[in-house]
Amino acid sequence: MTTTLAAHGLAIGLPTGWEGRIQRRAVSVAAEQTHAVVHLANFALPEERDDFGGGVTPLMRSADVFVVLFEYGPDAVGKPLFATQGIPRVTADMFGSKRLQRPLPGQLGCQRFFTAHGRPFCLYVVAGSRAYLPRILAEVNGVLTDLDVAP
Amino acid sequence: MTNTILVLESVVLVLLTVLVAGLLRSHAEILRRLHALGAGLDPDAPTSELASMPVELRSRVSGSFATAADLDGAGLRDDALHVAVVGTRHRTLLAFLSSGCLTCQTFWTAFGEPARLDLPDDIRVVVVTKDASEESVSALRKLAPPNVSVVMSSTAWSDYSVPGSPYFALVDGGAGRVTGEGTGAHWDQVKNLLRQAADDASDDSREVRIDRELREHGIAPGDPSLYRTAEQIAQESRA
Repeated sequence: MTTTLAAHGLAIGLPTGWEGRIQRRAVSVAAEQTHAVVHLANFALPEERDDFGGGVTPLMRSADVFVVLFEYGPDAVGKPLFATQGIPRVTADMFGSKRLQRPLPGQLGCQRFFTAHGRPFCLYVVAGSRAYLPRILAEVNGVLTDLDVAP
Repeated sequence: MTNTILVLESVVLVLLTVLVAGLLRSHAEILRRLHALGAGLDPDAPTSELASMPVELRSRVSGSFATAADLDGAGLRDDALHVAVVGTRHRTLLAFLSSGCLTCQTFWTAFGEPARLDLPDDIRVVVVTKDASEESVSALRKLAPPNVSVVMSSTAWSDYSVPGSPYFALVDGGAGRVTGEGTGAHWDQVKNLLRQAADDASDDSREVRIDRELREHGIAPGDPSLYRTAEQIAQESRA
């Protein structure tokens, strides 16, 4: 790991060649509350992109990986979907083409919902191809190991 | 009494004339300097000395190019960014701009029309400004094109020894080094920088290839055969 990206109560170590953004969407109405959205990739992230990879995944090559960490509001805490406690790791059997939000030829996706320090998240990973999956898994799990979530 | 009033009115008139002349002269000077900075109002006016100034390009031969560094900083919408510049498969053109510099306006506008930049596919443009404490974030939000990454990082300005804005550095991600850097008043001048950097890289690779081919044929640096004249070669052929 060569650098740490930190904002909105999250800190993430990134390997060389990776880049990332931690942001929070602007509120559209005063009562609205937005939460952290993290985008990480081992390629150049386009500036115009949706929360779950719209505008990003069509640009990916076989060896590329795109990671989303999407935080939900406090009302999601305690729901069965977020029952898993702690930051998960990913394995090959979690990936499939039907788990993609936007299916594209060759790409595989993985979604894990969890709660860390009382904050509910969805981890969404898109792999460019199965051929590079072992290397992608090693890199993503390395990033997840270095992920710190503040309460 | 009437004469005194007339004299006073004449004096006031002369003073006003001098004042107006001074203001007009000052206004003309301001317009001239604005034009020199590339912000003139008359598009047909001849280009100034600054506008026609060639890009200052440091030669790679000087060995002064720095090792490149990734960009860490803040975005314009309450976000933190890490932009990979080193260890990438693409090149990155770092555009060090500010919201207040007049010459920078032309680049902010140019980056809003990526198709007209005429950049090679492997070059990504990233705008780097100073930290929010030294910039106007609201002005940057208005200037920043939606399709270009903008990183606020005074550290990057320091890392790349940026003398002032606008300034450009072209980084080869694979080599992890700056391959061209300089400034200019117009986008065409920056494109020249890219062209020169590409030519330098091409020259370097050609030299390496020639050296390798010569070595493969047993010709090392300093070999006498490298210094034969055309006449000598012709004589040897005849013999």
